[in-house]
Amino acid sequence: MGMSPLARLALRAPVPVFAAIGPGRQADVERLLARRGLRRALTPRDAAVLLLAGDLPPDAMEPLGRVHDQVPRPRRILRWTDRTETGDAVADRLATAWRGLCGGEDGDDDLQPDAPSNAWRGVGPHGQGGTGMMGGTPYGRPMAMTGLDIRDGLQLDRYTARLGPFAPMLPPGLVLELTLQGDVICDAGVVCPPFAQPADADAPVLCSARMLALLGLEDAARRVIRGGRPGALWLRGAVPRGLGRIEGGGDARERLAGYLAGTPAALAVPPLPELLSGLEWAEAMLVLASLPPSSILRATRLREAA
Amino acid sequence: MIAGLVLAVLATLAFGALLAVALDGRLAILAAQGARQRVETEAPDRLNRDLAPAWYLALAAIGLSVVPFAEGAALIDSPVGIVVWGSCEALIVVTVFLHGWSPNAPFPLIGAYRYAAIGLPVLLPSMFVLIAAALPAESLSFVAIVDSQRELWNVIRQPLGLPLFCIVALALTLRGPMDYADAADIATGTSAEESGPARVLWDIARAAMLVSVSAIAATVFLGGPLGPVLPGPVWLWLKIAGLMALFVLGGRRIARTTPSRMLSILWVILLPLSFLHLAISGVLAL
Repeated sequence: MGMSPLARLALRAPVPVFAAIGPGRQADVERLLARRGLRRALTPRDAAVLLLAGDLPPDAMEPLGRVHDQVPRPRRILRWTDRTETGDAVADRLATAWRGLCGGEDGDDDLQPDAPSNAWRGVGPHGQGGTGMMGGTPYGRPMAMTGLDIRDGLQLDRYTARLGPFAPMLPPGLVLELTLQGDVICDAGVVCPPFAQPADADAPVLCSARMLALLGLEDAARRVIRGGRPGALWLRGAVPRGLGRIEGGGDARERLAGYLAGTPAALAVPPLPELLSGLEWAEAMLVLASLPPSSILRATRLREAA
Repeated sequence: MIAGLVLAVLATLAFGALLAVALDGRLAILAAQGARQRVETEAPDRLNRDLAPAWYLALAAIGLSVVPFAEGAALIDSPVGIVVWGSCEALIVVTVFLHGWSPNAPFPLIGAYRYAAIGLPVLLPSMFVLIAAALPAESLSFVAIVDSQRELWNVIRQPLGLPLFCIVALALTLRGPMDYADAADIATGTSAEESGPARVLWDIARAAMLVSVSAIAATVFLGGPLGPVLPGPVWLWLKIAGLMALFVLGGRRIARTTPSRMLSILWVILLPLSFLHLAISGVLAL
């Protein structure tokens, strides 16, 4: 079957991959997706291939299904469970899957039934009815109620949601229950700690690349992982001074400077709710990215033990 | 004459957008996305979702229509061209907000509000800078502003103007250090829930806006169609292409700080700086 010129052009695009990273595979996946010919999608909507790396614990299967079903069709799920399989081999498999999808293959079906995960408990056409106009809980989501703003003392809507375990800006496996007012984090609770990762995930190169990606320097992050220089302006300066200061570990800006100079960080991180509450979303994500995965894991385990 | 100018505006927009996508290295990516399914969120605001990219494209076209392609020849030779472009800028903020509002999802909405917060303090320096350029011309018309640069381009006469306008341009086209609507920490923000043709259309509209913003910058600071030997439109196209490359490069190579810090920078440093720029330009134009 002949391909249209547009399909031939599409074939030359880097493979859009959304990564669902399991225990122990963060470093492998981050290095893999920095290769030429692959592109890490930041939302499942922008992806065509869902890469599942590692063996997920049973309670992560349902969220995986939800992420999978959000990837637009035609789509493929690709599993990378064999640790001995090299990055080259996986990159080849990804490219083959992409060629198939561009060539008109149907791709995978939904993993989950297309039904809401919670019952409709709203009252009235928009679910807002009930006591005080806001008593309903349509599909398990209560209507936002106002609460005291933690900065200005104004009454603002509070929105509570769970994020993770595959949100690309959070460490893999971490599920947070956050209460937001606008983009200010009022409350943070750890629902699931991140998956354990080997020491390789703490490599300064990978830590700096995570921060660079959040600073809008996708290309620089890839260059750094491939062993080059970031080649970008205003790197350290863009991270606000004093952000995410940890006793004995400096602030996020100093940690970025350390990573870029090749110094790994070993930190005693305070519990995440303490660390994140009161920060704006962008700041909170930058703080999380500035911490080595192993210390985030230790911080959440401390919390569980307590 | 009119038909020629309509053609010039449309062709500049179309080829310019193509060039912008190519400079971004996204031609193949857009081709691939176009063939994919469009996933719909729960209870979206369909009208505004579909209108947002259309508004964005329309505003790019309106902005370009007041730009003179040759000396004295703009499609709409408005005596208040700067006001027309200024209203386009304000409506871009509304458009990007609607783009984030319409999917009915948290990350797009955060992007939308964030952009609205950044948009206002970006528009103020933009207006000061453009009014400063209007002072030597003693007119708000882009045709007159080009005419006033016959001896000396504004980029030299008012050296702060173009650098300040570059920041505005990056914000209006959602690029790199000023892309607070579609940032990585909110999973591409206002675009986070979009797939397939809808994503492509938004990207094309962004590319078209890059052409329009570059055309305004070329007209106001680089003398627009003025230049030796080559005909006016060719000079304008060359200047537009050069500025587009500059904005693409800057978008890729400059880090983006956190929104609250950028707000402080905008209100505390750039706004007073642009006012100072206006005051100095005013004194010099006396």
